[in-house]
Amino acid sequence: MEYQFRRQDFYTGLIIIGVSLFIMMESWRMPRHLQDWPAYAAPGMVTGILGLGLLTMGIILTLRSVRRQGSPLPFKRADIVAYLTDPKTRRLGLMFALSLIYCLFLGRRIPYILVTSIYLALVMITFRGTGPVKALIISLMVAIGVAIVFNRLFLVPLP
Amino acid sequence: MELGPLLIFKELLKLFSPIILFHVFWSTFIGMIIGMLPGLTATMGIALLTGLTFGMEPRMAIVILICVYVGAITGGSRSAILLNIPGTPANAAACLDGFPLAQRGEGGQAIGLAATASFIGTVFGLFCMAFFTPLLGKIALEFHSWEFFWLAIFGIVICGNLTAPTDPLKGWIAGFFGLLVSLVGMEGITAYARFSFGFDQMKGGFALIPVLVGVYGIAEVLGGMREVVLPKVRSKVGRIIPRARDLINHYRHILRSGVVGVIVGAIPGVGEDVASWVSYDFAKRSSKQPEKFGKGSLEGLIAAETGDNACIGGAIIPVLSLAVPGSAPAAVLLAAMWLHGVRPGPLLMLEFPHYIWEVTAMMIMASFASLVISLSFVRAQVKILLIPRPVLMPIVFVLCVIGSYAINVRVFDIWVMLAFGVIGYAMRNYNYPAAPLVLGVILGDMADVNMRRALIRTAGDVSSFFIRPISLILIILIILTMISRTKMFKRIMSLVKVKVKKIFGKQR
Repeated sequence: MEYQFRRQDFYTGLIIIGVSLFIMMESWRMPRHLQDWPAYAAPGMVTGILGLGLLTMGIILTLRSVRRQGSPLPFKRADIVAYLTDPKTRRLGLMFALSLIYCLFLGRRIPYILVTSIYLALVMITFRGTGPVKALIISLMVAIGVAIVFNRLFLVPLP
Repeated sequence: MELGPLLIFKELLKLFSPIILFHVFWSTFIGMIIGMLPGLTATMGIALLTGLTFGMEPRMAIVILICVYVGAITGGSRSAILLNIPGTPANAAACLDGFPLAQRGEGGQAIGLAATASFIGTVFGLFCMAFFTPLLGKIALEFHSWEFFWLAIFGIVICGNLTAPTDPLKGWIAGFFGLLVSLVGMEGITAYARFSFGFDQMKGGFALIPVLVGVYGIAEVLGGMREVVLPKVRSKVGRIIPRARDLINHYRHILRSGVVGVIVGAIPGVGEDVASWVSYDFAKRSSKQPEKFGKGSLEGLIAAETGDNACIGGAIIPVLSLAVPGSAPAAVLLAAMWLHGVRPGPLLMLEFPHYIWEVTAMMIMASFASLVISLSFVRAQVKILLIPRPVLMPIVFVLCVIGSYAINVRVFDIWVMLAFGVIGYAMRNYNYPAAPLVLGVILGDMADVNMRRALIRTAGDVSSFFIRPISLILIILIILTMISRTKMFKRIMSLVKVKVKKIFGKQR
């Protein structure tokens, strides 16, 4: 069976090693005799042990990817360009960007119904889910429905 | 002392009110739609509805969530049969025989059989739940800090092992990451804010629901929008009500899958998808016609659907007795119970002795509602499958956002949800299972507080972690789980098998 995650495992392994070293370092820096509690009750005790466990697994993951398939493939410019120009990646990026912008606008002074219906209509039209008029009607209905249920029924203030 | 069945009946009578029946039916229906639509899972459905039912009376909210759970697992077989796309991961095994049946024009029969098998599986699971939860609860009373620490570690290890069958290491990494995520913020012994980096919002830690919604919901939305097309329903539905003989002839598969489902469900974090595959595999091995499996075998379909639904009851057993979820949807259910003031765990039988019977009664209502809806609104439900993803997914995203926000009314939770959505998406692409992460988030506090508390009790002596009987059993189980996937262990086991065969062969 071909080993599929040759490159990914190597780089994620390195990321895990980095993160776990950071966790262990932070755990070590946490107070060890807080409020006169003994050192074994220190807040960094369990996080340090878990960090150590994660570090071990990160090392195993990295070494295993090297052992199974030799040195990892480097990222080539052509690979990155191919990934970025893939229509699927574009769709993903667009959806994420629109959703991020939507979240950025929430919690400000713009009415929730307005922000939500614009976001919904924009996504539906951009991704050709339905026609513009239908998209606007659905978006408005959903936004008003959510606002009524949460705000009026459950008395939750809208973002 | 009153008998269990009588207590269940009493609770059932208490639940029989028009308003609860109304909630049971709409939530089961919504659950089925969530389950049916590829990309929306039971976990995500319960997480979304947790936000929606936040302001409701606790009993009503839990009824709704249980109905969504049962409905989603049952409904997932619709798209598996008609589209060859499992509605939820739990229904993946149903594709193998459901879709060939639909292609032969027997889609209606397949749907009817799947619905009935699901109903039987759920009922089997809930009765096992009612019977075994009090027993496990009694054992759980013997658990102390040492055992709870090891239980948390065991949960992560076995969940990682079983949800990442090709690479358990990735499952364990996900589990450890989940444990660490849960330890962000103020801890329970000295109130020290860990990993908060001076941010006030981080001092409160990451709330469970935004993390869950992110890992399951947002990751699904992003993944769903990345794909371009969705195949259309090709099959005619036809006759739906199943023939009694189809069920009677396969009673062995139903019974076996029920047992398998409950056992798999009771294992922390494993869940319905594994139950369904294991049941399917067992049915194939024991069948007189194994060659028909994958080509439209009724046995395969019945086994898969009974197994995943029986798992629901099984997954709730550890939720109620140990506060350890048996599956990802059960993890959200546990979180919802906490939100509504119920404290599942060893003390549940002492604090709320009737709660187990109440949950059983709720599940009975959910399973009946699910059966009725499954067999009566098939054509209407099939039309919902035709909703295009670009219309559905943004609506789901809006619901994810509001659901995460509503729990604590914090915009910070929306960002937590989004961040974990990205992490969940990356994990999925790199073959890291999400279930151990979720289980880790649930069990992190249990592991942390109990380890430190145990050390305080023994003045730093670690030997108690290794010499107490239950701890020792758990340690052995952890080690066995970890080494069971190594080549050396497999080689030793095959050698042992050969030797045992030789010994018994000689005796004959």
